[in-house]
This record gives sequence, C-alpha cells and structure tokens, in this order.
Amino acid sequence: MDTKTKLKKALADELNLPELNAPGFDDDAPLFGEGLGLDSLDAVELVIVIQKHFGFEIKDMDEGKTAFSSINTLSAYIDKRLSE
Amino acid sequence: MRRITIQGIGTFGGFGTGVQALAQALEKGLVAPSIRAVPTGHGATELAALRADLAPLEVLVQARTLRRMDSFSKLALLGARLALEDAGLEPAGNDNLGLVIATGYGATTTTTYALMDSISRDGDACTSPIHFANSMHNTAAANISLQIGATGPNLTISQFHLSVPSALLTARQWLLDGRVERVLFGAVDELSDLMAYLWMRQRGEHWAGPMAPLATQQETAIPGEGAAFFLLSARDEVKPSYCTLQDVSTGRHSGPLACGTDLLVLGADGRQAFGATYAAAAKGARVTCFTPHYGSMPSGPAFDLAAAALMLRRGKAYATPASEACDFSATVLPADAPLAKEEISCLTFAADRGFGRIRLGGV
Repeated sequence: MDTKTKLKKALADELNLPELNAPGFDDDAPLFGEGLGLDSLDAVELVIVIQKHFGFEIKDMDEGKTAFSSINTLSAYIDKRLSE
Repeated sequence: MRRITIQGIGTFGGFGTGVQALAQALEKGLVAPSIRAVPTGHGATELAALRADLAPLEVLVQARTLRRMDSFSKLALLGARLALEDAGLEPAGNDNLGLVIATGYGATTTTTYALMDSISRDGDACTSPIHFANSMHNTAAANISLQIGATGPNLTISQFHLSVPSALLTARQWLLDGRVERVLFGAVDELSDLMAYLWMRQRGEHWAGPMAPLATQQETAIPGEGAAFFLLSARDEVKPSYCTLQDVSTGRHSGPLACGTDLLVLGADGRQAFGATYAAAAKGARVTCFTPHYGSMPSGPAFDLAAAALMLRRGKAYATPASEACDFSATVLPADAPLAKEEISCLTFAADRGFGRIRLGGV
C-alpha cells in the first residue's frame, strides 16, 4: 500500500472521515477550515495518528503546519521523513 | 416561590422517537423488546433489550458535527434537540438557558473501551486525544451546549438510580434562585456492549420478557436505553405547558413515605431486590407504572416523569402494563381513569434505603 492510500485509510478510520476515500475526493483540498473542517483537537489527533501508523513524531510545528495543508502535502512530508 | 413549568419533552427509547411515540406506546400497550447481540469471550450471545435508535439524529444534525461525538453524547443530543423542538425553541441563541444531565452509567463505550483500549494498545504517547475528550464526565453536556447555543451553566450529575431526582434538584434550584430563566434538564443512559455483558453476567439466565414490575417478588427486568429531556421554565411562557414541577426530594427512608393522596408513578422496573420496598410504599395507594415501555435503567425516572406530564396534560391515566400481575394491595389505575386530584408523585428507590420523589401538578 502506498503512503497516500495508507494515510487516507488511517485518517478515515481514526478521525471518522469516510469522505476521504470517496471517489472524486480532491487530495489537494485543505484539511482544516473550509476544506475538511478539521480543528485544533483534530490536529493533535493527526500527530498521534502519524506517530502510530508511520512511526515518527512531528515536533516542529512550523513544519507540521505546512505538511497539514492537504492530503498530498502530508503524504509527501511523510515520504520525506521516512527517507531521511 | 417561582413557578416552574415543563414546556417541552424530548424522549426516545425502545418505544420509538419523540414524545408522541411515548404517548402512543402508553396508549396502545406493551412495547416488545428487541434482541441485542452481546459479544463475549466465547462468541456473541443474545439479550432482550429495549433499545434506542439514533438514526433520527442524522436528520436533525449534520454528519460533520457528529463526527467526533461518541454514542453517549449523540443519545443526549438527540434528547435535547427533541425537547427544544417540542418546546418550540430553535437550537441556537439560547441565552440564559442552563443544562443539567443525569446519568447512572455515563459514557461506558468511550470511557471503558475506546480510551482504555487506546492506552493499552498504543501506549501513553499515542493515546487518542479524541477518546480522551469524550471520556470526560461533562462532555455530553458541553457538546449539547455548543450545538444549541446555550450560554448558561451546564452540569452532569451521577448518583446511580437516584441520578434523575438528584439532578432535578439542581435544575430546580437554578430556576428558583433566578440563576437562569430556563433549564434543559435530561437523563440518558446507553446499553453499550460492556453494560449488556455486565447485565448478563449479573443476572445469568436470559429473560425475554415481558416485564411485570408490579409482580414484586419476581425478577422480570429487561435493560433499556435512551434519553428523556425536559425544557423547564420559570418564565411566563406563551406556549401552554404540560404541567408544573412542584417539588423534588431525595434522602433515606426509614418507613413508608408520606405521599398524601397523590397518584404514584412507581419506578419499579422488575428488579426483585427493590420489589418489596415499592410494594410497601404503594400499599393502599393509587398507582401506575410504565417501565415496561422503556426498560430498566438508571435514567428510568425521567421517563416516568414524561409519562406523568403527559397524563396531567390529558387529565386521564394510562394503563399499567402487566397490571394483572400486581402482588400487593394497591389500586392500579385502569386506562383512561380520570385524575381526581391533579398531583402526581414519581417515586424511585435505590440501594441503602435511598429514595427520590418528584411531584408534578396541573398547570
């Protein structure tokens, strides 16, 4: 399973976001605010989900902010961290 | 003293959804339990239960809003929304509205399973923040306040089978003190996998019903779940109310309670351990009992309260299911018996001689 598919499955299950796996979902849509509507509590959960499923912690919040923009940016960030 | 009225009722449970569904069940007779599959270490087994349906909530509230709520919060929110709707209030901009929730068990699905499992499976560092938030005692009340724009205080009170009168004491005091003008008061309990399993372990053999709560020497209890909410008001409301809330008391009894000539709605729910206490309290009195419509649960007295309010509004009694099984000396009111004196006391007994009594009167 590629990173993006694994990420979407984990977020759909743990944040109760079935629309992530719906056909036609825009992987560039913002995760927070007007997009998927996530908020600060979801952000904390997101950090935990990534730690659980991909084995690393996001400690730099500035880095995290950029990474959390969309599914595509987060997926790319995970691939980058895993390759380091 | 300020006059407190019940302006709206929101109920759902094994009888259906809404105060009209409860009224219909009370008029038409016994509600049949459904079968609930209960997971055990040796595969699933079956339990007869009076279960609630949460599907109507999805019509009232957007799916995105419900995304992070656990089933307990959803049960509470549905009850709250139904009560507001019945009172003719919008689910927004409810200034000066307090909220008090009673629950005997609380959020057993989230607190006991989801959070604890998350800790044991993923470790402290990866414990789910959402499960943690849902495990907080007052989360359901906070969720409701956010969803309906209630700016008054909110509180959750647990005192097992006396949770309802205990919480209603607080709601009434807020209104009497003028702390708020209205209080949304409700009770909720869920029959989670854990609670269903515990029910079976404690009682052993499967009992498929019917409940016969006035057969006080027999164990006939069937578990229930659901919520019953009430919009209480100390205002001079334009909308006609169901009834007035006259008094609430809790304590320990040392003998039969003095209930005057009130009609008693007994909270007897088929648990044999409390049968003799109800029989002694009701001796020679005029009584009714409706627990077979919603089942045995700590929130049961709130459903008794809803049934009593409906009776006061119609001026006639509802039939008590399985009244022919009554094994003590009392006058069990038949269907449509006129209410001679417009005062009804809902009576609940609990462990250690605990009691709760809620007295309602006509408008």
